[in-house]
Amino acid sequence: MPELSYREAVRDALSQAMRRDPDVFLMGEDIAEMGGSMGVTQGMLAEFGPERVRNTPISEMAIVGAGIGAAIQGMRPVVEIMYEDFTTLAMEQIVNQAAKHRYMSGGQVKVPLTIRTQGGAGWSPGAQHAQQVEAWFVHVPGLKVVFASTPTDVRGLLWSSIYDDNPVVFFEHRTLYGIREEVPDELEPIPLGQARVHRRGEDVTVVATGRLVHEALAAAADAESQGISVEVVDPRTLQPLDEATVVESVRRTSRCVVAHEAVTRMGFGAEVAAVVQHQAFDWLDAPIERVGAHFAPIPFAPVMEEFVVPHRQDVLDAILRTVGRA
Amino acid sequence: MATLVTLPRLGQGMESGEIVRWFKAEGDAVEKGEPLYEVDTEKVTQEVEAEASGVLLRIAVPAGEVPVGATLALIGEPGEEVQLEPAGDGSGGAAAAVVEDGREPAGAEAPSVGAAAGEPARVPLPIRPPSRPRVPGRPRASPLARRLARERGVDLATLVGTGPEGRIVAEDVERATGGEAFPAPGPVAAPAVAAADRVEEVPLTSVQRTIARRLTEAWEAPAFQLTMSARMDRAEAVVASHREADGEEVKVTLTDVLAKMCSLALLEHPAVSSQFAGETLRVFSTANIGIAVAAPQGLVVPVIRGVERLRLAEIAAARDDVVERARAGTLQTADLEGGTFTISNLGMYGVEQFVAVLNPPQAAILAVGAVEERPVVEEGAVVVRPMLTMTLTCDHRAVDGAAAARFLAAVKRLLESPGLAL
Repeated sequence: MPELSYREAVRDALSQAMRRDPDVFLMGEDIAEMGGSMGVTQGMLAEFGPERVRNTPISEMAIVGAGIGAAIQGMRPVVEIMYEDFTTLAMEQIVNQAAKHRYMSGGQVKVPLTIRTQGGAGWSPGAQHAQQVEAWFVHVPGLKVVFASTPTDVRGLLWSSIYDDNPVVFFEHRTLYGIREEVPDELEPIPLGQARVHRRGEDVTVVATGRLVHEALAAAADAESQGISVEVVDPRTLQPLDEATVVESVRRTSRCVVAHEAVTRMGFGAEVAAVVQHQAFDWLDAPIERVGAHFAPIPFAPVMEEFVVPHRQDVLDAILRTVGRA
Repeated sequence: MATLVTLPRLGQGMESGEIVRWFKAEGDAVEKGEPLYEVDTEKVTQEVEAEASGVLLRIAVPAGEVPVGATLALIGEPGEEVQLEPAGDGSGGAAAAVVEDGREPAGAEAPSVGAAAGEPARVPLPIRPPSRPRVPGRPRASPLARRLARERGVDLATLVGTGPEGRIVAEDVERATGGEAFPAPGPVAAPAVAAADRVEEVPLTSVQRTIARRLTEAWEAPAFQLTMSARMDRAEAVVASHREADGEEVKVTLTDVLAKMCSLALLEHPAVSSQFAGETLRVFSTANIGIAVAAPQGLVVPVIRGVERLRLAEIAAARDDVVERARAGTLQTADLEGGTFTISNLGMYGVEQFVAVLNPPQAAILAVGAVEERPVVEEGAVVVRPMLTMTLTCDHRAVDGAAAARFLAAVKRLLESPGLAL
């Protein structure tokens, strides 16, 4: 099995789709010669040419708007927003256009658009380049939202997103681009709306997304050395959410921690907690714990940034609270 | 300036109390006179009111047993600084402030990180929004523990929680029922033991501890018993006539008649209405009669005062009130104090007769069995009569046999001829 980095896995999914299907093409800022600010599309200009790997002006609204138009016309565009912080500039196109056309046309118009973006803290990019904003998009009916945490997942989920007939906002995490793992020889599409159980456990379920999946796995190993058996579930697709897998897990463990890098308050984890408390109420033996960033802008100073966003120890602390050992 | 909340002495002989729950959370506004916390004393579980108005700044004792006079909490002004334990490390001050902001909606603005950095040992206590009011008497238990308790027929009120802040968790229910593994075994589950070998260690409630201590004391008193039976047809007619009468909300029972007759007999025979007090005898001129009640948390004996002055309907109303509150666990200390004599009636269970243990410091207790039809000899012939057998237990240091016999005979005479009580 080949070993790919997360970055290479994204590139592999894009390249395989473009080789197979002339309707798939890329648009974004500096994605052609430069290969994107994160190097994801490096080398793709040479293979696919400037018609299919298109640099755009610095206008997120124009990038997404052009993508919507192409998608309505039958293409399967993949547009890149350099930082998820900049999706603010394309909100009108994403929320009021892409998410609405299929509904408002009575199903006559489809928008098979994939909006790739990346973000996250951990490398001191400052308050305007370090946010995790997935909660804005899971709140909008008409959008699908994906957040992949491993090379295998990002490859299989991006493929499914490109071939989904609905607009998909596809989140990647800046600090995950370098992680490597063996991936299947053949790209295996991963259906949207299907969670992944990374690790089986009996005492606590940690529902984690993005970078926090890895922090949760490390915390689970720590907890195991203290005799606590932790199950780690990554929903992978935030919208639609695989409620069944999460709820089934919590009904077995009777305790739940939700963890993401975004601020805790009003975050994606709040929705998971609501789903769990409702569907697993009679199975809960402890309050659901939430792990996320403090309610503050992400500081530039590395030591402060480190303090504001959650890490392995925060997940472990939450696990210990659920079993009454904090 | 903050006001200290300390554990008051709620009754004679109270040395300590167990804090059961707080009705307010830290940061909640508190009005003088509203219930602040609940304390479990040796006698009762009682709500204690706030003695000052302000904001509950700090709860020093969330739960657990503390001596009388111990500091339980601080009430002060909103935003008032109170001394905290020094943080564990130099960064603790700033960290604590931000963590609290992250958890509680203290304000929409970003936390001012570092504001307290220079003074880690003294930080402003964040004022939290009011928490939802807790329902008094409802045990804190996890949803899973509640479901297991429901399925297994366990009364949560009988369990002691081992979870955070005394929460009853699934493991506690499992322990109480000796159940086998359920879907979520706790992380610190004990090694599996065959169900048949399992011995349960059920911690005593405060009330049960008190009962055990006092009954052991009572056993040391030199006691004797006298038994007598009474014909009950006329007493039963009195009960029946009250039940037929209009306007009585509470049904008069035989216990009420017994209380009334005992009160009159007690005043007639003051030796039984007394207490042995070392160098003296305390003799009472009123009959405060305790009624033994099997409450969920254990045996309690609430007292009806001045029974000799009450009509039967009034006795019934007073008895109904204290028995209901005993079963609901809402008796106050005052309900249990000042008794001069106790009646324990097990007749409703079909007990024919039994011997009660003294209820110190009282000198006598009357054990009452069931009214049943028995063959008795009257004027040389065997006839069937409704009969009641009573056994009086007396503290011999206060009462001698003849006095006790005269008292018992007076009770018998009043029961058999209730008109004499008029």
